[in-house]
Amino acid sequence: MSKRKIIGMAFAVLAAGWLGSAAAQAQDYKIGYITDLSGPLAGSYTPTWQGFDLYTKALNDRGGVNGRKINVTIDDDGLRADRAVAAAKKQVESNEVLGIFGLSLSSTQAPVIAEMQKVGVPVVSTFSAILDALPPAKPDYFSTGVMFEVAGEAIGVLQKQIAPSGKVVGMTFDSVGGRAAIAHNKQTVEKEGYSWDEVLFPVRTADFTPFAQTAAGMSPAMVVGHYGAEQNIGVIAALRAAGYTGPYIIAAYGASEDTARQAAAQAGSGDNIYMVSRYAVPTDNAPGMADLLAAAKKYGIANPTSMHVTGWVLGMFAEEALKKCGADCTREGLDKAIQTVKLDTKGLTGGPIEMSADNHYGPTYWRLYHWEKDKLVGVGDWLKKTDLTFPVK
Amino acid sequence: MELSVSILALGSTYALLAAGIVVIYKASRVVNFAHGELAIVGAYVFHSAGFLTGTSLTGLSLVATIAIAAAGSALFGILVYFALMRRLLGRPTFVAAMVTIGLAIILKAAIVVFFKSRSVGIPIGRQPLYNFAGGGRITWIELISILVCIATFAALAVFFQYTRLGRQFRGAAENPLLAAQRQVNINLILALAWSLAVFSAALAGVLFGSRSMLSPQSTIIGLSGLTAALVGGLDSLRGAAVGGLLVAAATYLTARLISPTLAETVPFLILLVVMSWRPWGLFGTVEELNRV
Repeated sequence: MSKRKIIGMAFAVLAAGWLGSAAAQAQDYKIGYITDLSGPLAGSYTPTWQGFDLYTKALNDRGGVNGRKINVTIDDDGLRADRAVAAAKKQVESNEVLGIFGLSLSSTQAPVIAEMQKVGVPVVSTFSAILDALPPAKPDYFSTGVMFEVAGEAIGVLQKQIAPSGKVVGMTFDSVGGRAAIAHNKQTVEKEGYSWDEVLFPVRTADFTPFAQTAAGMSPAMVVGHYGAEQNIGVIAALRAAGYTGPYIIAAYGASEDTARQAAAQAGSGDNIYMVSRYAVPTDNAPGMADLLAAAKKYGIANPTSMHVTGWVLGMFAEEALKKCGADCTREGLDKAIQTVKLDTKGLTGGPIEMSADNHYGPTYWRLYHWEKDKLVGVGDWLKKTDLTFPVK
Repeated sequence: MELSVSILALGSTYALLAAGIVVIYKASRVVNFAHGELAIVGAYVFHSAGFLTGTSLTGLSLVATIAIAAAGSALFGILVYFALMRRLLGRPTFVAAMVTIGLAIILKAAIVVFFKSRSVGIPIGRQPLYNFAGGGRITWIELISILVCIATFAALAVFFQYTRLGRQFRGAAENPLLAAQRQVNINLILALAWSLAVFSAALAGVLFGSRSMLSPQSTIIGLSGLTAALVGGLDSLRGAAVGGLLVAAATYLTARLISPTLAETVPFLILLVVMSWRPWGLFGTVEELNRV
């Protein structure tokens, strides 16, 4: 065989392989994921993305959905709304995604949702959720995440398991979400018979000592922190240094058992640290946890936390939606399919995630955990929230 | 009493930051806008060095970690001077200031890339030293912060007042060309200035990280350090100390007595008032102003 023929055959084989790969990829379900991977809350959002990524990898290992694999395009918004919108447009126009998952802080979500509504691309957020998902739900937006208003009310009810009366001090940083959480927490605890006080501090606070001293000076029976992991760690240490040794509740907005662990180390003691979470912690031994732990081991994610569980459940949700959408899934079809999802989370939260045409958030389940020695232990059963007790006017 | 201790401890951190800014300004008339980032990167490096020497950060492990971090920060200051600032000698000072802004952005990105934006704490001296009646306490690290600050300022004061090199600093700042013609080694002085400044920034960062959590957002303390330096006077070490205490006191007292949400606003109000009244700061050298 001549040299020319050999080279020609080699090119033909390469081209066939490339075309075959391109054809296979053309068969894949293409979805997008946008979140903060390098910005101020990367420490919270990255594990959520990792959980989602683990699920899609494990799913593809099993053959994918409807015989097709899932191809995820990931983009980093750095917690900036302009970057989130740019990434969304790129994913829709260049990557031709069917839907967008993940997102980051609530302030970045609204502009992305507005853009995606123009082109009819469904968006499913996790971690943070905005009111648009509640009835009457706005089109093309769904959430499996934590809505500040709902979380504030859930925490207000679960707090009864710690102390039956007294003063509750709510702490948050001065943001729209923080204020919303505080407002609903306050209304709920006052309804339960507690007295309430609150401490708000600037978003970019580096030293929490003066705010912790202010909170400690209010003689609280309980303190609740409505902010992310980093703030919880700093505030807990500052509160203990200020002489407050009573119960402290971490509202799990981007916080996990790692937060409690670091807070215990920073404060010198893990006593009286609690957490309220929408999703189970790995030590809960929920039926669905074994699959997550196996995938984490396979793909090199050490010590998965409840933040990884959050992303994993979003992956389960995506699979269920695509399954219902069918082999010839379109954006409109995916949107309709998501509205009918009823997902068995296998114990990774207290009950199923259920969407409907009018309600793109569904009932949610919340649990109180207590830090004991080196892990979070559940206190009581899951609390089901179906709607806001104090609707937003 | 607890409030006073907290103000002194935080004020010590701000004073150390301001001291570094003053040292560079005294030597080169350049305002370093990357000081907060240098402080936090230095603290992250200290935290990482702690893992190299052992995980307990006590005894020999702590000594080794301090030695590594101190040497590293001083050398990094020299590197910053020779790689970036030396080329700008003779240029308008605002050019050098812009370069420090660029340096700040790069350092903040480095925290994201190398330390993955993780929040970390430095577990030194958190044990309570004394518990106050009625709640509250002072920890070892708060006492250490105050003592280290006093020692650093004392050493710098001796250096600038009583050493030949310290006097040459001032000459080099006022007229580098004349100083060079008088056989003053400008590069040595400026490299030393940057080395001292980065060292004191890292020191402030470590003390801060021992009391609070470190994260990319912690670089905001640089703004407080700059405010302290401006209020006290950009070329005055005494001013840096007083400015640091003033900013810390304003932050704490506002949070406790007025409103926590205004805590970071009041220090800048103080800055505006001082700048309007004495543009060179409370203890800075009075200079002729070219008013339009």
